[in-house]
Amino acid sequence: MSAPTAVLELDHITRHRAGRPAVSGLTLRLDSGQVLGLLGVNGAGKSTTLAMVAGALAPDSGAIRLNGKDFMEHPELARSVIGWLPERAPLWPELTVSEHLDAHGRLRGLRGTGLAQAHRRIVERLELGSLSRRLAGVLSQGQRQRLGLACALLHSPQLLVLDEPANALDPVQVAALREVIREQAAAGTAIILSTHLLAEVTAACDRVAILHEGQLRYDGALDGADHKALEQTFFDIAMRGNGSNDRMQAA
Amino acid sequence: MSVIAVTRLELRRLFVRPLAWVLAALTLGQLAWRFTLLLGGFLAGQIKLAALPGGPGYTDLVGVPMLSSILTGGVLPFGVAELALVIVPLLTMSVIAGERSNGTLPLWFAAGLPASRIVLGKYLALMLWLVLWLALALAMPLSLAHGVTLDWGKLASASLGLLLTLAALAAIGVACSAYASHASIAASVALTLGLAMAGVNLAAQKAGATNGVFNWVALSSHLESMLRGLVSTADVAWFLIVIVVALALATQRLAAEKERG
Repeated sequence: MSAPTAVLELDHITRHRAGRPAVSGLTLRLDSGQVLGLLGVNGAGKSTTLAMVAGALAPDSGAIRLNGKDFMEHPELARSVIGWLPERAPLWPELTVSEHLDAHGRLRGLRGTGLAQAHRRIVERLELGSLSRRLAGVLSQGQRQRLGLACALLHSPQLLVLDEPANALDPVQVAALREVIREQAAAGTAIILSTHLLAEVTAACDRVAILHEGQLRYDGALDGADHKALEQTFFDIAMRGNGSNDRMQAA
Repeated sequence: MSVIAVTRLELRRLFVRPLAWVLAALTLGQLAWRFTLLLGGFLAGQIKLAALPGGPGYTDLVGVPMLSSILTGGVLPFGVAELALVIVPLLTMSVIAGERSNGTLPLWFAAGLPASRIVLGKYLALMLWLVLWLALALAMPLSLAHGVTLDWGKLASASLGLLLTLAALAAIGVACSAYASHASIAASVALTLGLAMAGVNLAAQKAGATNGVFNWVALSSHLESMLRGLVSTADVAWFLIVIVVALALATQRLAAEKERG
């Protein structure tokens, strides 16, 4: 039996920012239904990586493949395949929640009843009904994140890219977010999320990749790995630049 | 289809912001004032004018001067063309620069849209607003069409000239917005460019330079012949060149932004 086609493949991608390599020779693969946690300290290159995966930023070199197709040659794939929630959900302050969802749906190619159904489904799932006529400019940070997530999920993407999605969320909202992530993964969506919260990774992800100074320093499954072992590996990499895969594997 | 989605979103954003409504109200109010002054002048002199063989009529004294004061002199109150020099930069300033400062520009890239479609979609939305504005301004002289003899050909030529002027100014404004880091800078540069292009030939004449290049560069010289009822391929081509070059520059800047980050 042949191996399933990866939803996302990063092949030695490199990106410079402000004259220094923000991401250097990164290679990763993500299959459908997998939840990959991208860990790293501030400036490790997580957001740059996710912006490239989402199509908002072009890599200097290397290849990004979505469902086996070169993303640079087929940028239109972003429209249907990817849902992206950047670090601070960017919204148009003069539009309402409902208008945001409609606009994102249309930009992603949804029309007519398909758009109306997707709109209704996501509003119910993320409990945005009471906010639908509210302007985005007056939403709280948590509500903004919810709307950003709704926009990212509206078109049922195969790949969900979440950049620090739990930022500014209260514990109840974090629990709800984890539930959404688990639901999406169960439905076959490949998910890549960046965070610097170790608890977020152990609670929501089944694989972890640790970036340090733009390079991949660790990539492995989280099956059986406890929080302490992950924490130790993360700190080894973050403080000394080298991690111990043995500790994680033993755990 | 994606261009239509961009246009639709941009148009929605334009109509829910107070700026567009305030500009429309102020400018149409001012144009109504100009219309009553022009109409008053026409009514006061129409008996004398009727006696002149081939004398100016309603179109020459009210219809065309509503659109621009280039032929009539006396700038105040402004015609549509003079108002456009100010309001188009205000409308276009945040089209791209505003997205940049709001942090929403990457959303457009992440929607898989090429820079050309983003620019074109936004430009079309602005043009729809400006066409509506021009139509409302034209409705004033046209409201008396049943009682006067209109020179439809001359009015159509002048309207085409105004439409092309608005299209050129909007394209320049979009390009300035694509290059500027802040909306206010985009508005200032677009206003300066618009004023320079409108008056470069007059300034050159006053300085004693009679070089044909200044006339060719000047927007007003191309608009003037259309206001007189003369539509020439050279004038239309000039406007199209300005529009295409400005939109191409905006597209190139936006595409480079995705590359550079």
